[in-house]
Amino acid sequence: MNYTKQIQEIAAKLFAEDKIDVFVGYRMNGFDDNQVPVLITGVNEIPKLVFTDKSVFNLVNYLKPDHTRRKRVGLVVKGCDSRSLNLMLTESQVKRENLYVVGIACEGVTDDAGQKMQNCTDCMVPDAVVFDEMLGTPSGSQPAAYKANADVTALAAMPLPERAAYFEEVFANCIRCNACRHSCPLCYCAKCCIDQETSTLYNGANTTSAAFHALMTWSLHLAGRCVDCRNCEKACPSHLPLHLLHKQNESVIYENFQEHLAGVISEDRGAFYKYSLKDPDDFIM
Amino acid sequence: MEAEVKDQLVSIEKPGLIAPPNWEPVIMGILCNWCSYAGSDLTGTSRIQYPPNIRIIRVPCSSRVDPWFLIKSLQTTADGVLVSGCHPGDCHYISGNYYARRRFLVTKKLLNFVGYHENRVQFSWVSAAEGPKFAKVVAKVTDDIKKLGPLHLYKKENFEKK
Repeated sequence: MNYTKQIQEIAAKLFAEDKIDVFVGYRMNGFDDNQVPVLITGVNEIPKLVFTDKSVFNLVNYLKPDHTRRKRVGLVVKGCDSRSLNLMLTESQVKRENLYVVGIACEGVTDDAGQKMQNCTDCMVPDAVVFDEMLGTPSGSQPAAYKANADVTALAAMPLPERAAYFEEVFANCIRCNACRHSCPLCYCAKCCIDQETSTLYNGANTTSAAFHALMTWSLHLAGRCVDCRNCEKACPSHLPLHLLHKQNESVIYENFQEHLAGVISEDRGAFYKYSLKDPDDFIM
Repeated sequence: MEAEVKDQLVSIEKPGLIAPPNWEPVIMGILCNWCSYAGSDLTGTSRIQYPPNIRIIRVPCSSRVDPWFLIKSLQTTADGVLVSGCHPGDCHYISGNYYARRRFLVTKKLLNFVGYHENRVQFSWVSAAEGPKFAKVVAKVTDDIKKLGPLHLYKKENFEKK
Protein backbone atom coordinates (compact mmCIF):
# COMPACT_ATOMS: atom_id res chain seq x y z
CA MET A 1 0.00 0.00 0.00
CA ASN A 2 1.84 3.09 -1.25
CA TYR A 3 -0.17 6.08 -2.44
CA THR A 4 2.54 8.75 -1.95
CA LYS A 5 2.59 9.81 -5.60
CA GLN A 6 -1.17 9.98 -6.02
CA ILE A 7 -1.62 12.00 -2.81
CA GLN A 8 1.09 14.47 -3.82
CA GLU A 9 -0.61 14.90 -7.22
CA ILE A 10 -4.01 15.44 -5.60
CA ALA A 11 -2.61 17.99 -3.14
CA ALA A 12 -0.85 19.89 -5.95
CA LYS A 13 -4.06 19.91 -7.98
CA LEU A 14 -6.14 21.16 -5.03
CA PHE A 15 -3.70 23.99 -4.26
CA ALA A 16 -3.52 24.91 -7.97
CA GLU A 17 -7.32 25.12 -8.21
CA ASP A 18 -7.43 27.04 -4.89
CA LYS A 19 -9.85 24.52 -3.40
CA ILE A 20 -8.14 24.18 -0.03
CA ASP A 21 -6.17 26.29 2.45
CA VAL A 22 -4.45 23.42 4.19
CA PHE A 23 -3.78 19.77 3.40
CA VAL A 24 -3.49 17.28 6.24
CA GLY A 25 -1.34 14.28 5.47
CA TYR A 26 1.60 12.27 6.70
CA ARG A 27 5.34 12.94 6.49
CA MET A 28 8.37 10.91 7.55
CA ASN A 29 9.34 11.77 11.10
CA GLY A 30 12.96 12.33 10.06
CA PHE A 31 14.83 9.79 12.16
CA ASP A 32 13.29 6.38 11.48
CA ASP A 33 10.76 4.92 9.07
CA ASN A 34 7.73 5.97 11.11
CA GLN A 35 5.47 8.81 10.11
CA VAL A 36 3.86 11.80 11.78
CA PRO A 37 0.94 13.98 10.68
CA VAL A 38 1.75 17.18 8.82
CA LEU A 39 -0.35 20.25 7.94
CA ILE A 40 0.70 21.62 4.57
CA THR A 41 -0.22 25.17 3.58
CA GLY A 42 1.62 25.67 0.29
CA VAL A 43 2.73 23.93 -2.88
CA ASN A 44 6.41 24.01 -1.94
CA GLU A 45 5.77 21.68 1.00
CA ILE A 46 4.05 18.99 -1.04
CA PRO A 47 7.13 16.73 -1.48
CA LYS A 48 6.93 16.06 2.26
CA LEU A 49 3.70 14.08 1.84
CA VAL A 50 3.83 10.30 2.02
CA PHE A 51 1.36 7.49 2.44
CA THR A 52 2.43 3.93 3.12
CA ASP A 53 1.33 1.23 5.53
CA LYS A 54 3.15 3.17 8.28
CA SER A 55 0.53 5.95 8.07
CA VAL A 56 -1.11 4.98 11.30
CA PHE A 57 -2.55 8.18 12.77
CA ASN A 58 -6.13 9.36 12.42
CA LEU A 59 -5.96 12.75 10.69
CA VAL A 60 -9.59 13.58 11.42
CA ASN A 61 -8.27 14.74 14.80
CA TYR A 62 -6.84 17.79 12.98
CA LEU A 63 -10.34 18.95 12.03
CA LYS A 64 -10.88 20.02 15.62
CA PRO A 65 -11.15 23.81 16.04
CA ASP A 66 -7.65 24.20 17.49
CA HIS A 67 -6.02 23.21 14.24
CA THR A 68 -8.05 24.10 11.19
CA ARG A 69 -10.86 26.41 12.26
CA ARG A 70 -12.70 28.08 9.36
CA LYS A 71 -10.28 26.69 6.82
CA ARG A 72 -10.90 24.61 3.74
CA VAL A 73 -9.13 21.36 4.42
CA GLY A 74 -7.99 18.48 2.29
CA LEU A 75 -7.21 15.30 4.14
CA VAL A 76 -6.45 11.63 3.77
CA VAL A 77 -8.70 9.11 5.52
CA LYS A 78 -8.52 5.37 5.90
CA GLY A 79 -11.59 3.25 6.64
CA CYS A 80 -11.66 3.81 10.41
CA ASP A 81 -10.75 7.50 10.07
CA SER A 82 -13.59 8.04 7.63
CA ARG A 83 -16.03 6.62 10.17
CA SER A 84 -14.90 9.15 12.75
CA LEU A 85 -15.19 11.84 10.09
CA ASN A 86 -18.73 10.64 9.43
CA LEU A 87 -19.56 11.04 13.12
CA MET A 88 -17.99 14.52 13.25
CA LEU A 89 -20.10 15.52 10.26
CA THR A 90 -23.24 14.07 11.84
CA GLU A 91 -22.49 15.86 15.11
CA SER A 92 -22.09 19.17 13.19
CA GLN A 93 -18.45 19.67 14.12
CA VAL A 94 -17.22 20.22 10.56
CA LYS A 95 -18.84 21.33 7.36
CA ARG A 96 -18.69 18.92 4.46
CA GLU A 97 -18.35 21.72 1.88
CA ASN A 98 -15.11 22.84 3.57
CA LEU A 99 -13.52 19.44 3.13
CA TYR A 100 -11.87 17.59 0.31
CA VAL A 101 -11.56 14.01 1.43
CA VAL A 102 -9.14 11.55 -0.13
CA GLY A 103 -10.45 8.12 0.83
CA ILE A 104 -8.20 5.09 0.96
CA ALA A 105 -9.22 1.51 0.36
CA CYS A 106 -7.09 0.47 3.30
CA GLU A 107 -5.18 -2.78 3.44
CA GLY A 108 -4.19 -2.32 7.07
CA VAL A 109 -1.38 -0.39 8.71
CA THR A 110 1.53 -1.70 10.73
CA ASP A 111 2.85 -0.91 14.19
CA ASP A 112 6.45 -0.10 15.16
CA ALA A 113 7.45 -3.76 15.01
CA GLY A 114 6.18 -4.09 11.42
CA GLN A 115 3.26 -6.30 12.45
CA LYS A 116 -0.21 -5.55 11.18
CA MET A 117 -2.10 -3.72 13.91
CA GLN A 118 -4.73 -5.70 15.80
CA ASN A 119 -7.58 -3.40 14.78
CA CYS A 120 -6.53 -3.88 11.13
CA THR A 121 -6.56 -7.67 11.29
CA ASP A 122 -10.03 -7.45 12.88
CA CYS A 123 -11.15 -4.60 10.60
CA MET A 124 -14.72 -4.82 9.34
CA VAL A 125 -14.85 -1.58 7.32
CA PRO A 126 -11.52 -1.21 5.47
CA ASP A 127 -12.79 1.16 2.76
CA ALA A 128 -13.38 4.83 3.41
CA VAL A 129 -17.10 5.56 3.76
CA VAL A 130 -16.81 9.34 3.15
CA PHE A 131 -14.67 10.51 0.25
CA ASP A 132 -14.43 12.82 -2.76
CA GLU A 133 -11.82 10.67 -4.37
CA MET A 134 -10.93 7.05 -3.72
CA LEU A 135 -7.44 5.59 -3.94
CA GLY A 136 -6.95 1.86 -4.28
CA THR A 137 -9.50 -0.78 -5.13
CA PRO A 138 -12.41 -0.97 -2.69
CA SER A 139 -12.92 -4.50 -1.44
CA GLY A 140 -16.64 -3.97 -1.90
CA SER A 141 -17.36 -6.71 0.59
CA GLN A 142 -20.16 -6.31 3.08
CA PRO A 143 -19.04 -6.01 6.70
CA ALA A 144 -18.43 -9.49 8.04
CA ALA A 145 -20.13 -10.79 11.16
CA TYR A 146 -19.04 -9.08 14.37
CA LYS A 147 -15.89 -10.58 15.80
CA ALA A 148 -15.35 -10.05 19.52
CA ASN A 149 -11.92 -8.75 20.47
CA ALA A 150 -9.68 -11.60 21.63
CA ASP A 151 -8.16 -9.59 24.52
CA VAL A 152 -11.60 -8.65 25.82
CA THR A 153 -12.84 -12.24 25.65
CA ALA A 154 -9.75 -13.50 27.45
CA LEU A 155 -10.09 -10.92 30.23
CA ALA A 156 -13.82 -11.48 30.63
CA ALA A 157 -13.11 -15.16 31.28
CA MET A 158 -10.78 -14.34 34.18
CA PRO A 159 -12.08 -14.52 37.78
CA LEU A 160 -13.22 -11.22 39.22
CA PRO A 161 -10.39 -10.51 41.72
CA GLU A 162 -7.74 -11.21 39.05
CA ARG A 163 -9.47 -8.91 36.60
CA ALA A 164 -9.72 -6.22 39.26
CA ALA A 165 -6.00 -6.58 39.96
CA TYR A 166 -5.18 -6.39 36.25
CA PHE A 167 -7.15 -3.19 35.74
CA GLU A 168 -5.84 -1.69 38.95
CA GLU A 169 -2.37 -1.94 37.45
CA VAL A 170 -3.57 -0.46 34.17
CA PHE A 171 -5.09 2.55 35.92
CA ALA A 172 -2.09 2.87 38.24
CA ASN A 173 0.20 3.26 35.22
CA CYS A 174 -1.80 6.17 33.82
CA ILE A 175 0.03 9.47 34.19
CA ARG A 176 -3.08 11.57 33.42
CA CYS A 177 -1.48 13.44 30.54
CA ASN A 178 -4.85 13.38 28.73
CA ALA A 179 -3.14 12.48 25.45
CA CYS A 180 -5.90 9.92 24.84
CA ARG A 181 -8.48 12.66 25.01
CA HIS A 182 -6.54 15.08 22.84
CA SER A 183 -5.79 12.46 20.21
CA CYS A 184 -9.41 11.33 19.92
CA PRO A 185 -11.25 12.96 17.01
CA LEU A 186 -14.56 12.57 18.83
CA CYS A 187 -13.40 14.25 22.07
CA TYR A 188 -14.01 17.79 20.91
CA CYS A 189 -15.88 19.33 23.88
CA ALA A 190 -14.46 22.75 24.73
CA LYS A 191 -14.77 21.90 28.40
CA CYS A 192 -14.48 18.29 29.51
CA CYS A 193 -16.36 17.01 32.53
CA ILE A 194 -13.28 15.03 33.56
CA ASP A 195 -11.53 18.33 34.28
CA GLN A 196 -14.03 19.23 36.99
CA GLU A 197 -12.06 16.82 39.12
CA THR A 198 -8.90 18.88 38.69
CA SER A 199 -10.51 22.01 40.09
CA THR A 200 -8.88 21.39 43.45
CA LEU A 201 -5.31 20.45 44.07
CA TYR A 202 -6.22 17.22 45.82
CA ASN A 203 -8.51 15.88 43.11
CA GLY A 204 -6.03 16.84 40.44
CA ALA A 205 -3.47 14.54 42.01
CA ASN A 206 -2.35 11.65 39.88
CA THR A 207 -3.82 8.73 41.79
CA THR A 208 -5.13 5.39 40.57
CA SER A 209 -8.58 6.56 41.57
CA ALA A 210 -8.30 9.73 39.49
CA ALA A 211 -7.10 7.74 36.48
CA PHE A 212 -9.96 5.30 36.91
CA HIS A 213 -12.41 8.18 37.00
CA ALA A 214 -10.92 9.88 33.95
CA LEU A 215 -10.56 6.80 31.73
CA MET A 216 -13.89 5.23 32.65
CA THR A 217 -15.82 8.46 32.13
CA TRP A 218 -13.99 9.04 28.88
CA SER A 219 -14.68 5.57 27.53
CA LEU A 220 -18.35 5.67 28.55
CA HIS A 221 -18.80 9.04 26.86
CA LEU A 222 -17.33 7.47 23.73
CA ALA A 223 -19.44 4.31 23.93
CA GLY A 224 -21.37 3.77 20.73
CA ARG A 225 -19.20 6.35 18.97
CA CYS A 226 -15.69 4.88 19.17
CA VAL A 227 -14.53 3.75 15.74
CA ASP A 228 -11.53 1.75 16.99
CA CYS A 229 -8.90 3.82 15.17
CA ARG A 230 -6.62 3.39 18.22
CA ASN A 231 -5.29 6.93 18.04
CA CYS A 232 -5.53 6.99 21.85
CA GLU A 233 -3.37 3.92 22.22
CA LYS A 234 -0.77 5.25 19.80
CA ALA A 235 -0.68 8.53 21.74
CA CYS A 236 -0.50 6.94 25.18
CA PRO A 237 3.02 7.36 26.64
CA SER A 238 2.35 4.59 29.19
CA HIS A 239 1.15 2.15 26.50
CA LEU A 240 -2.09 1.42 28.34
CA PRO A 241 -4.43 -1.10 26.64
CA LEU A 242 -7.14 1.51 26.19
CA HIS A 243 -8.84 -0.47 23.44
CA LEU A 244 -10.05 -2.95 26.08
CA LEU A 245 -12.55 -0.44 27.48
CA HIS A 246 -13.77 0.64 24.06
CA LYS A 247 -14.03 -2.85 22.62
CA GLN A 248 -15.90 -4.05 25.70
CA ASN A 249 -18.50 -1.29 25.23
CA GLU A 250 -18.65 -1.96 21.51
CA SER A 251 -19.29 -5.68 21.99
CA VAL A 252 -22.03 -5.05 24.58
CA ILE A 253 -23.72 -2.59 22.23
CA TYR A 254 -23.40 -4.89 19.26
CA GLU A 255 -24.66 -7.98 21.04
CA ASN A 256 -27.52 -6.41 22.99
CA PHE A 257 -28.82 -3.69 20.72
CA GLN A 258 -27.83 -5.17 17.34
CA GLU A 259 -26.32 -1.81 16.43
CA HIS A 260 -24.04 -1.62 13.44
CA LEU A 261 -20.57 -0.16 13.95
CA ALA A 262 -20.31 3.54 14.76
CA GLY A 263 -20.04 5.98 11.87
CA VAL A 264 -20.65 3.54 9.03
CA ILE A 265 -23.99 5.09 8.11
CA SER A 266 -24.03 8.87 7.72
CA GLU A 267 -26.58 10.81 9.80
CA ASP A 268 -26.51 8.01 12.36
CA ARG A 269 -25.53 9.29 15.80
CA GLY A 270 -24.74 5.99 17.47
CA ALA A 271 -26.44 3.57 19.82
CA PHE A 272 -27.13 5.98 22.69
CA TYR A 273 -29.13 8.42 20.59
CA LYS A 274 -31.92 5.95 19.92
CA TYR A 275 -33.71 3.09 21.60
CA SER A 276 -35.79 0.05 20.89
CA LEU A 277 -38.72 -1.27 22.92
CA LYS A 278 -37.05 -4.68 22.68
CA ASP A 279 -33.84 -3.66 24.42
CA PRO A 280 -32.80 -6.15 27.12
CA ASP A 281 -34.58 -5.49 30.40
CA ASP A 282 -33.70 -8.59 32.40
CA PHE A 283 -30.95 -6.89 34.43
CA ILE A 284 -33.44 -4.38 35.85
CA MET A 285 -35.49 -5.28 38.93
CA MET B 1 -9.58 -19.37 65.45
CA GLU B 2 -9.97 -20.54 61.86
CA ALA B 3 -13.74 -20.59 62.12
CA GLU B 4 -13.60 -17.00 63.27
CA VAL B 5 -11.63 -16.00 60.20
CA LYS B 6 -14.17 -17.72 57.96
CA ASP B 7 -17.01 -15.76 59.49
CA GLN B 8 -15.31 -12.46 58.75
CA LEU B 9 -16.66 -10.59 55.78
CA VAL B 10 -14.14 -10.06 52.99
CA SER B 11 -14.34 -7.65 50.11
CA ILE B 12 -15.26 -9.70 47.04
CA GLU B 13 -13.04 -7.76 44.64
CA LYS B 14 -10.07 -7.88 47.02
CA PRO B 15 -10.37 -11.08 49.03
CA GLY B 16 -7.43 -10.09 51.26
CA LEU B 17 -9.31 -7.19 52.83
CA ILE B 18 -11.65 -7.85 55.73
CA ALA B 19 -14.62 -5.75 56.77
CA PRO B 20 -14.54 -4.07 60.19
CA PRO B 21 -16.98 -5.50 62.76
CA ASN B 22 -20.57 -4.23 62.49
CA TRP B 23 -19.84 -2.90 59.02
CA GLU B 24 -22.88 -1.46 57.25
CA PRO B 25 -22.85 -0.71 53.54
CA VAL B 26 -23.59 2.73 52.13
CA ILE B 27 -25.81 2.63 49.07
CA MET B 28 -26.28 5.55 46.74
CA GLY B 29 -29.89 5.67 45.54
CA ILE B 30 -30.43 7.76 42.42
CA LEU B 31 -34.19 8.05 41.93
CA CYS B 32 -36.25 9.64 39.21
CA ASN B 33 -38.45 12.48 40.41
CA TRP B 34 -41.71 11.30 38.85
CA CYS B 35 -41.93 7.63 39.77
CA SER B 36 -39.29 6.19 42.05
CA TYR B 37 -38.89 9.22 44.28
CA ALA B 38 -42.66 9.39 44.72
CA GLY B 39 -42.62 5.62 45.28
CA SER B 40 -40.03 5.96 48.03
CA ASP B 41 -42.15 8.74 49.51
CA LEU B 42 -45.13 6.38 49.52
CA THR B 43 -43.02 3.75 51.28
CA GLY B 44 -42.38 6.26 54.02
CA THR B 45 -45.93 7.54 54.34
CA SER B 46 -47.20 3.93 54.37
CA ARG B 47 -44.86 3.27 57.33
CA ILE B 48 -43.12 0.40 55.56
CA GLN B 49 -39.69 -0.32 57.02
CA TYR B 50 -36.68 -0.45 54.71
CA PRO B 51 -32.95 -0.53 55.44
CA PRO B 52 -31.49 2.88 56.32
CA ASN B 53 -28.32 2.20 54.29
CA ILE B 54 -29.62 3.98 51.21
CA ARG B 55 -28.79 7.67 50.61
CA ILE B 56 -31.22 9.10 48.12
CA ILE B 57 -30.51 11.63 45.39
CA ARG B 58 -33.40 12.93 43.30
CA VAL B 59 -32.90 13.43 39.57
CA PRO B 60 -35.46 14.71 37.03
CA CYS B 61 -35.42 11.51 34.98
CA SER B 62 -33.47 8.26 34.89
CA SER B 63 -31.90 9.44 31.64
CA ARG B 64 -30.39 12.35 33.61
CA VAL B 65 -28.08 9.75 35.13
CA ASP B 66 -24.72 10.04 33.44
CA PRO B 67 -22.51 6.95 33.90
CA TRP B 68 -20.20 9.47 35.50
CA PHE B 69 -22.53 9.65 38.53
CA LEU B 70 -22.08 5.95 39.18
CA ILE B 71 -18.32 6.18 38.78
CA LYS B 72 -18.10 9.11 41.19
CA SER B 73 -20.37 7.42 43.74
CA LEU B 74 -18.27 4.25 43.70
CA GLN B 75 -15.09 6.31 43.97
CA THR B 76 -16.24 8.08 47.11
CA THR B 77 -18.52 6.84 49.87
CA ALA B 78 -20.74 4.26 48.23
CA ASP B 79 -20.34 0.48 48.41
CA GLY B 80 -23.09 0.10 45.86
CA VAL B 81 -25.45 2.10 43.69
CA LEU B 82 -29.15 1.71 43.00
CA VAL B 83 -30.62 3.63 40.08
CA SER B 84 -34.36 3.62 39.80
CA GLY B 85 -36.77 5.10 37.28
CA CYS B 86 -40.23 4.81 35.80
CA HIS B 87 -41.42 1.59 34.22
CA PRO B 88 -40.94 1.42 30.43
CA GLY B 89 -43.77 3.36 28.84
CA ASP B 90 -44.43 5.44 31.97
CA CYS B 91 -41.67 8.02 31.55
CA HIS B 92 -42.81 11.58 32.24
CA TYR B 93 -40.66 12.64 29.30
CA ILE B 94 -42.06 9.86 27.08
CA SER B 95 -38.83 8.02 26.28
CA GLY B 96 -36.16 9.02 28.80
CA ASN B 97 -35.99 5.65 30.50
CA TYR B 98 -35.56 3.83 27.18
CA TYR B 99 -32.43 5.86 26.48
CA ALA B 100 -31.29 5.32 30.06
CA ARG B 101 -31.79 1.56 29.81
CA ARG B 102 -29.17 1.25 27.08
CA ARG B 103 -26.67 3.32 29.02
CA PHE B 104 -27.28 1.33 32.21
CA LEU B 105 -26.51 -1.97 30.54
CA VAL B 106 -23.26 -0.73 29.00
CA THR B 107 -22.19 0.94 32.26
CA LYS B 108 -22.98 -2.14 34.32
CA LYS B 109 -21.05 -4.41 31.95
CA LEU B 110 -18.06 -2.08 31.81
CA LEU B 111 -17.89 -1.73 35.60
CA ASN B 112 -18.08 -5.50 35.86
CA PHE B 113 -15.34 -5.76 33.24
CA VAL B 114 -12.89 -3.59 35.21
CA GLY B 115 -13.47 -5.61 38.37
CA TYR B 116 -16.65 -4.61 40.17
CA HIS B 117 -19.06 -7.38 41.13
CA GLU B 118 -22.17 -7.12 38.99
CA ASN B 119 -24.37 -6.57 42.08
CA ARG B 120 -22.53 -3.39 43.05
CA VAL B 121 -24.57 -1.45 40.54
CA GLN B 122 -28.25 -2.28 40.32
CA PHE B 123 -31.21 -0.87 38.49
CA SER B 124 -34.93 -1.03 39.08
CA TRP B 125 -38.20 0.29 37.75
CA VAL B 126 -40.42 1.51 40.60
CA SER B 127 -43.63 3.41 39.94
CA ALA B 128 -45.18 6.03 42.23
CA ALA B 129 -47.74 3.46 43.44
CA GLU B 130 -45.19 0.76 44.32
CA GLY B 131 -44.26 1.65 47.88
CA PRO B 132 -43.90 -1.99 49.02
CA LYS B 133 -41.85 -2.79 45.92
CA PHE B 134 -39.42 0.02 46.72
CA ALA B 135 -38.92 -1.36 50.22
CA LYS B 136 -38.29 -4.83 48.75
CA VAL B 137 -35.82 -3.47 46.20
CA VAL B 138 -33.83 -1.57 48.83
CA ALA B 139 -33.82 -4.62 51.10
CA LYS B 140 -32.57 -6.81 48.27
CA VAL B 141 -29.83 -4.39 47.20
CA THR B 142 -28.67 -3.91 50.79
CA ASP B 143 -28.65 -7.66 51.31
CA ASP B 144 -26.68 -8.23 48.07
CA ILE B 145 -24.07 -5.66 48.96
CA LYS B 146 -23.75 -6.90 52.54
CA LYS B 147 -22.77 -10.26 51.04
CA LEU B 148 -20.14 -8.62 48.80
CA GLY B 149 -18.38 -6.80 51.63
CA PRO B 150 -16.97 -3.28 51.61
CA LEU B 151 -15.80 -1.80 48.33
CA HIS B 152 -12.08 -1.15 48.15
CA LEU B 153 -11.56 -0.62 44.43
CA TYR B 154 -10.35 2.75 43.15
CA LYS B 155 -11.48 4.68 46.23
CA LYS B 156 -10.21 8.20 46.59
CA GLU B 157 -7.66 8.24 49.37
CA ASN B 158 -9.76 10.21 51.81
CA PHE B 159 -12.66 7.79 51.28
CA GLU B 160 -10.67 4.59 51.68
CA LYS B 161 -11.88 2.80 54.80
CA LYS B 162 -9.00 1.76 57.00
